[in-house]
Amino acid sequence: MQLNTLIVIVLLSGTITVAQERKISSKVNPGCKTCTNDTILMYVRCDGASDTIHQIWDFTRSIPTVIFAVTKLKSSLDIVWDGNNPTGFYMSETPLYSFATALDKIYEYNDLKDNGHFDPNLPHHIHNLDHMMWHVKEISTTEKEAMVRVYGTLNNDRSEEHGTVAIKLDLIPFKDYAVELPHLIHTANSTQFDVSLVNLTSTPGYNASRFALHLLLVSTDSATETMRYTMRKSLDDEHTPGVFEVIEIKTPALHNYAIGGYLQFRPVGYVQAERGVASSTIAHVSYFNRTSLPVRSTMKTFYDEFGRANLLVQDMMVSFGEGGDGYYAQHNYTAWSFAVGYGSPPTDSFSWYVVLIISGGLLLPVLLAVSGMVYVLVRRHRQRYNSRAMFANED
Amino acid sequence: MENPEHDPERTAVPDQEPPVSCFHPSTKTHRFIGLVLMCFLCFGSYFCYDTPGALADNFKSDSHLNTSQFALLYSIYSWPNVVLCFIGGYLVDRCFGVRLGTIIYMTIVFIGAVVFAFGVYINAYWLMILGRFIFGIGGESLQVAVNNYVVVWFNGKELNMVFGLQLSISRFGSTVNFWVMESIYRWVAKYYAGYERLGVALFIASLTCLGSLICALFLGWMDLRAEKALRQQAAQVKQDQPFQLKDVLKFKPVFWLLAVICVAYYLAIFPFIALGKLFFERKFDFVPQDANTVNSMVYFLSAALSPFFGILIDKTGRNVTWIMLSIVTTLGSHFLLAFTFVNPYVGVISLGISYSLLASGLWPLVAMVVPESQMGTAYGICQAVQNLGLAVTIILAGMIVDNYGYFMLELFFLGCLFVSLIAAVLIYILDSASEGTLNLSPSARESLLKTRVSTDETANLLDHADSSDQEETDSGLPNSNMASSSAGESGEGAGGGARDSALAQSDRIRSRYISHLLPTTNIPERP
Repeated sequence: MQLNTLIVIVLLSGTITVAQERKISSKVNPGCKTCTNDTILMYVRCDGASDTIHQIWDFTRSIPTVIFAVTKLKSSLDIVWDGNNPTGFYMSETPLYSFATALDKIYEYNDLKDNGHFDPNLPHHIHNLDHMMWHVKEISTTEKEAMVRVYGTLNNDRSEEHGTVAIKLDLIPFKDYAVELPHLIHTANSTQFDVSLVNLTSTPGYNASRFALHLLLVSTDSATETMRYTMRKSLDDEHTPGVFEVIEIKTPALHNYAIGGYLQFRPVGYVQAERGVASSTIAHVSYFNRTSLPVRSTMKTFYDEFGRANLLVQDMMVSFGEGGDGYYAQHNYTAWSFAVGYGSPPTDSFSWYVVLIISGGLLLPVLLAVSGMVYVLVRRHRQRYNSRAMFANED
Repeated sequence: MENPEHDPERTAVPDQEPPVSCFHPSTKTHRFIGLVLMCFLCFGSYFCYDTPGALADNFKSDSHLNTSQFALLYSIYSWPNVVLCFIGGYLVDRCFGVRLGTIIYMTIVFIGAVVFAFGVYINAYWLMILGRFIFGIGGESLQVAVNNYVVVWFNGKELNMVFGLQLSISRFGSTVNFWVMESIYRWVAKYYAGYERLGVALFIASLTCLGSLICALFLGWMDLRAEKALRQQAAQVKQDQPFQLKDVLKFKPVFWLLAVICVAYYLAIFPFIALGKLFFERKFDFVPQDANTVNSMVYFLSAALSPFFGILIDKTGRNVTWIMLSIVTTLGSHFLLAFTFVNPYVGVISLGISYSLLASGLWPLVAMVVPESQMGTAYGICQAVQNLGLAVTIILAGMIVDNYGYFMLELFFLGCLFVSLIAAVLIYILDSASEGTLNLSPSARESLLKTRVSTDETANLLDHADSSDQEETDSGLPNSNMASSSAGESGEGAGGGARDSALAQSDRIRSRYISHLLPTTNIPERP
């Protein structure tokens, strides 16, 4: 019974994979003639069977931003540039739906309660990312992968030293688990966003420094709606050892009509570059607050062109750590990953490995019982035969 | 059954020398005093084993040990014992004998504890490691020797209960250690500072080993006295047939199956407890303190329940059935933990109960399948393979969790339990096929023991049967008859009465025979 369900799940997930495959093509700074090496705007076009997803990964105005715009097939996007900045996004037809997320601030807070949760009442210091300079480390624009890795230095106003914020955006157009922990599911409809905070210096006077990420969530839904937070628990932690929860943040459209944008992640961060169970820590997610788009941002430009007055903009905080872990200073490293995507969020299924083991575990006792019964029957038969033979001898 | 000298002697000896006081070796009081001494004998080594655990924070702050150095304090204890407790057991059989063996091992344990404390006192890490190493050499071999003592003193009597009690004491020793070491340390801290206060606290802890050593000496004296009064002939027999190391290969298959259970079953318990705390925190969202409480439930239950399960098995016998039952319930507990979000207390409590039941039923079985002269080696082998399994699995389990997660780890545990279940079923089949006593009720065992001598002649007469299959069933007749008849009726004369009635006899033979073929069907033995 259980086995059948498992097989059905595996088969279903297989068919969905086929249906969701998309052809991707990516360009860096399309249409820009004046861009320098450190201008980074990646445009990824994902053509599916019935629609096209246009993705814009932007670092030009310093705030790392991922914008999704879903249109019918055969639409196109033109970008108008002014020096190193995009000043207009023109689509050949109005998108059916659009949503975006951006990492606009990093909060440093003095975690006096030592529980990892960010509390606005705690002493804190805000690093605005709108002046960050990003540098490309690696870029890939093949048919099988669109990927960009950038880093920027974060200067602490009150100290000479500076740390690094590294970001990796990655799209692999088929359904599978990411190679690196926490092994999030990537699909043709989603992009994985990795961020790591390396060697950031603490503000003097903060003995319990931790860093939290401030994320903006934007969607073309009614401004009176709200993003939805859901947490699913699974029995199986084989893909992210030690983590049984999956958190999803859904746009109102996804929540109400089963088609929209989402953020999907595991509530786990890593405190060492070598990711593992031992180097994992808890990621805490705050409530959503309503806010507005930063004045000088690519999102502002994009959604102004879009011309939709009704835009839902909310923010949330993600903080890291647990009591007694020695705060950020213990390892001077915090990394976190999430997937941002369109459509319904992918769900976990048991791997073949697990299915094999479970079915083995169920079949083996059955096999043993059957062979035991056969043995008994054969023995009984032989016994009867022997005794008959003996009687015959006696006769 | 392997030491038939016990019971005939118990009745024979008082004729020569009636028990004048309650301290006479043949009385219950004497055995009870021995039991108390055996318990205290183990207490010291279990107490000192966990002193680093109880003072873990202090080891880090006073002696400045890092995590891997600290972990080595434990692994230096277990790794050498993969081989050493087998040798230790063999030496008990071959050279020392149980008395001298116990005293020697206890002395080694005491020296180890003192060396370790001294190493901490002068803050020399190599000396701490040496101390723990010496402590380890003695520790596990001591357990083998004490198991031997228990079997010599209690076989055929309260054996299961005493094994259960031994298990309790071992858990109790660790628990008491966790209770008191912190206060001892605080008291010492009034007079000393730095690593010296830790060293002094450990010297005080090693006094428990001195206490145990005194118990060992006293027990040795009692055993010598008892042997002079009761077991002279037995000692004679032992010397006649010295046990060779190659005789290990002649151990019955049932013994090796028991060893398989020793390894496979315990793999699903100890590594689970070692990694359990985080599992409860992560999967069931327990705060660390609650996770610790759930995790300690298994040990707590085994400490509390083992003696009672021992008594239960003493009264009911049928060890193999109890073992199979407890493996099945353990499977159920792990299944709950792996495949459901049911409150883990349910799974862990049933795990603890099953574990105590298994431990009380399993260890005494070794005494039933191995001759007394090879007991030390047999227990040594069991403990050695178990140590090997645990040492390897704790590393393996860590790797499974890191790469595949807790769900996979639970599947691994379930696999281990299936292996042990298969071994238990095979024991049941082998035992009932060879007219073994392992799964009989105590009264059946006793009457089998008594009648075996007289039935030998009958068996000889039946030896002429031709076909091998036939031979098996035929030669099984007298024994199985004894067994089932005395299981049905409690009196000792019942066996004889039943033998007279030809009809009843054939009925019982048939039911016994069918139960051989269908090991899992329960044929009611009562006519």
